[in-house]
Amino acid sequence: MKIVVPWLRELVEIPVGTERLAEQLGLCGFEVTDVDLAHDVIDVEITANRPDCLSHLGLAREAAAAFDAPARSPDLGPVDRVSAAADTTAAVRIEDADGCPRYAGQVVRVKVGPSPSWLADRLTAAGVRPINTIVDVTNYVMLELGQPMHAFDFATLAGREIRVRRARTGERLRTLDGEMRTLDERTLVIADAERAQAVAGVMGGADSEVSGATRLVLLESAYFDPNSVRRAGRQLGLKTEASARFERGADPAAQVAAIERACVLLAKIGAGEAVGPVIDCQPAPRAAREVTLRRSRIARILGFEVGDTEVERILRRLGFELAPATDGWRVTVPTFRVDVTREIDLIEEAGRHAGYDRVPATFPKLTRLEAGLDSRIGWDRLARRILTAVGFSESMTFAFIERSAAAPFGPDAGEPPVAIANPLSETFAVLRPSLLPGLLDAVVHNRRRERHDVRLFETGACFSARDAEARRVGFAWTGAALADHWSGRGRLVDFFDAKGVVEALCQAFGVTADFAPLEAPHLVRGRSAAVAARTQASGPTQVALGLVGQLMPRVASARGYTGADDIYVAELDLAALARLGGAVEDVRAQALARHPSAVRDLSIEVDDTLPAAAVRGTIRGAAPSTLASIQEFDRYRGEGVAAGRVSLSLRLTFRDPERTLTEADVQQAMDTIVAALAAAHRAVRR
Amino acid sequence: MPSPESIERVRAGFLEDLARAASEADLRTVRDRYLSRKSGLVPALLKAVATAPADERPRLGRLANELKQKIEAALAGRVQALEAAGPAVEAVDVTLPGRVPSVGRRHPLTILRERIEGIFLRMGYEVLEGPELEDDYHNFEALNMPPDHPARDMQDTLYLAQPIVSPTHTATVLRTHTSGMQIRYMETHQPPVRIIAPGRVYRRDNLDLTHTPMFTQVEGLVVAEGVTMADLKGTLAALARELFGPGTAVRFRPSFFPYTEPSAELDITCTTCRGSGCAVCKRSGWLEVLGAGMVHPAVFEAVGYDPERFTGFAFGMGVERVAMVKYGVDDIRLFYESDLRFLEQFPS
Repeated sequence: MKIVVPWLRELVEIPVGTERLAEQLGLCGFEVTDVDLAHDVIDVEITANRPDCLSHLGLAREAAAAFDAPARSPDLGPVDRVSAAADTTAAVRIEDADGCPRYAGQVVRVKVGPSPSWLADRLTAAGVRPINTIVDVTNYVMLELGQPMHAFDFATLAGREIRVRRARTGERLRTLDGEMRTLDERTLVIADAERAQAVAGVMGGADSEVSGATRLVLLESAYFDPNSVRRAGRQLGLKTEASARFERGADPAAQVAAIERACVLLAKIGAGEAVGPVIDCQPAPRAAREVTLRRSRIARILGFEVGDTEVERILRRLGFELAPATDGWRVTVPTFRVDVTREIDLIEEAGRHAGYDRVPATFPKLTRLEAGLDSRIGWDRLARRILTAVGFSESMTFAFIERSAAAPFGPDAGEPPVAIANPLSETFAVLRPSLLPGLLDAVVHNRRRERHDVRLFETGACFSARDAEARRVGFAWTGAALADHWSGRGRLVDFFDAKGVVEALCQAFGVTADFAPLEAPHLVRGRSAAVAARTQASGPTQVALGLVGQLMPRVASARGYTGADDIYVAELDLAALARLGGAVEDVRAQALARHPSAVRDLSIEVDDTLPAAAVRGTIRGAAPSTLASIQEFDRYRGEGVAAGRVSLSLRLTFRDPERTLTEADVQQAMDTIVAALAAAHRAVRR
Repeated sequence: MPSPESIERVRAGFLEDLARAASEADLRTVRDRYLSRKSGLVPALLKAVATAPADERPRLGRLANELKQKIEAALAGRVQALEAAGPAVEAVDVTLPGRVPSVGRRHPLTILRERIEGIFLRMGYEVLEGPELEDDYHNFEALNMPPDHPARDMQDTLYLAQPIVSPTHTATVLRTHTSGMQIRYMETHQPPVRIIAPGRVYRRDNLDLTHTPMFTQVEGLVVAEGVTMADLKGTLAALARELFGPGTAVRFRPSFFPYTEPSAELDITCTTCRGSGCAVCKRSGWLEVLGAGMVHPAVFEAVGYDPERFTGFAFGMGVERVAMVKYGVDDIRLFYESDLRFLEQFPS
């Protein structure tokens, strides 16, 4: 809302200059977006609850309260009227009183032409383009009083009558912007005896538009139901100065005053003469609202006292009427204050103008210990701690992505991603089914900016129609696993680097992870694994945690990746990790081993298709409980090993908590293990 | 029976032995011969002093202790001399770069979010998370925004193409704020309430220098008997000082939110000019950082709290906005580009 300051000064005496005025308005709740001293215009934002301040009069009342200055009413007449004849008399019929509780009209004999410069300049300063005397005066009244008005060319109204009714199904109307509109039966229209001539409260029709040839107009000054106007505007895709005011709530009592003001202005500029009396159609007049304001409640909300005289002064300046009541006041709310319906609204008015700088600074009393951090935040923090410690930086990407970016990543094969009904663009069309598409784009972004080695992770929600949302952690890694150094060449990331990070993450959550070969369309077969948790409670069953592996180059290049280096990714379900891992901080410290361990190396030759996990399983199954750990330390194929076979070297550590193991103990264990390996895997000791 | 002479003899013997010692092993032998607790000559001397006549004991004791210290010092000196004279290891150029383990960085929004969470934990708040896909009731209606309420236009909302039914609710919108969590909390808890709800929220905003369609919010809610706007101001003033430095002043400007009344915007002293007026704060000396207010009685009525008995305050801030002010970032999109050149400017 552009405030033309001289216009405002006509309506209230302001004891300060424009800059100080702007500052004060800001402190009363009208955020100043611009102060144009050259044109003496202040641009303020009007919050959705204050349609009354979409007018100079409304802001004048605010200034009156802010500076304790008297407001002045604009000139409302009396208006000189000529008497009407039959052909200059309009009939108004409200057929839908819900949509239009009040409709005022006035026939005016007019001279259509350019407005005088004072009027045209004022409109221009307020950001409204001058058109002609009639339209300009209706706009002037709207900007001054807040009441939207419309002027019909009276000669075009069939039957010289106005009917306020719902549109007929399929009824058509060419609006002032030249568009032919098809209306639905819920849209309120202003019609003559035959057809719709305007969409009520939104826009007039082209056929009844005021033109140079117009001699008589019907001025409309109505109150339309906010919801009805909002719906019509939305349905037609139209937002106008009028609809903005009606849909937030116009003053249901300003209609006649607006007509009087328009007639005064038309007479003043010699552009019109009122014909006959104001037609005021109001099927059910509304009673003024009364609200009780209790003295004691003010400080209980604001935290400081506002004295009685101050409360009264502020509210009266704003247009409220006050009568004393036992513990405060009975307050009559002016019709233009559609936002004030209960006591709290009045307390805000008192506080706002008393000044929030008077609010002291205290703390709420602490009466008990609250629960602290949500456990989900704890999961994020734990994952973040591990991943940053091993060199990953944290990424945050948008939760909505392109459909094509989401496609390779699920949620599951064949299940479409969760779509947004009204996306801003195709770039943000669906909710991510996985963190990986965002991380992939992040890798591409960095690679394009000469960043070769990229390690990024993200934690956040992923979406599917089945689970709604699930919290996950994911990472992407390309380039070096070990950086080049003057002492030796570095090394690119491989599967076992990525797997190791997954293992570290699982360990941090207290989960033992198992890995099994995975075939997924977006991952390279043979270098990807499904990650599952081994649980004690559930026996041999495993719970899926996620995946780790090399991203399919085709998937990466579809997102613009041009690099030759492999990209490794992993994604794990944080809720599952947390659930299976349990409370990792619930530690019972174990006694430290007091006896030395015995270490034996074992080299065997087995089929090269045999998974390492199978060998471990056999060893674990055969070994006594003194076997403390198994460590693979070499894997060799080639000279000296038969084709299709592989040489594995393992280091086995034995320990007994109660005694030092003898050579015989260990030898017996080794013999059993070797025999079991031979039986299960045709393993040959080397 | 020790005497000054016998102590002197031990000393002379030690000096001879020391002179003959040529290796670390020799020195260990010498040390054992003189200082070993079990069989060393000096401990034996000290022990014998205890049997000397009382009038001689202090002097003999002193002499024996002096000898012990001299022997220890002489041995240590010889060990060092031997080490220094030993064969040198190949020297490294200590100015060459070390093998620096790579350490990742937390996202600046995480750093700030954790900081904010920490401040409120210190003030005794519970930190809650809630669903990002919300139902209309918790996102709007319970917050005094019934269907067709004009305030719904204030937050352009993204809707799901199909509702998603979960055990807790039927989601239809991407939450436009984390306030839904406050409603959920109040529905299941009686006052006193003291919570913050951080999380990602969504608006149908185009990407530009100051807007992203997804951003991070921290909302707070305190409800109890006797809570006033002064408690709100004190709390937010403390938050502002913690985040922006001890010299930071705050002010409230009236504003409008459907779920609070009175509502206010909180301004802080401009972090660039410290209040004197500059381009960043449009010459006002103030920067707007968050919205707040006293909980609207209609919200209490929606969750079954008695608005006559309980009062409360609520506030909500965009973490990106705070991060931009605090870190001097002028383009909000940088937070969502994952550009390591940006991310690596922040501490681990």
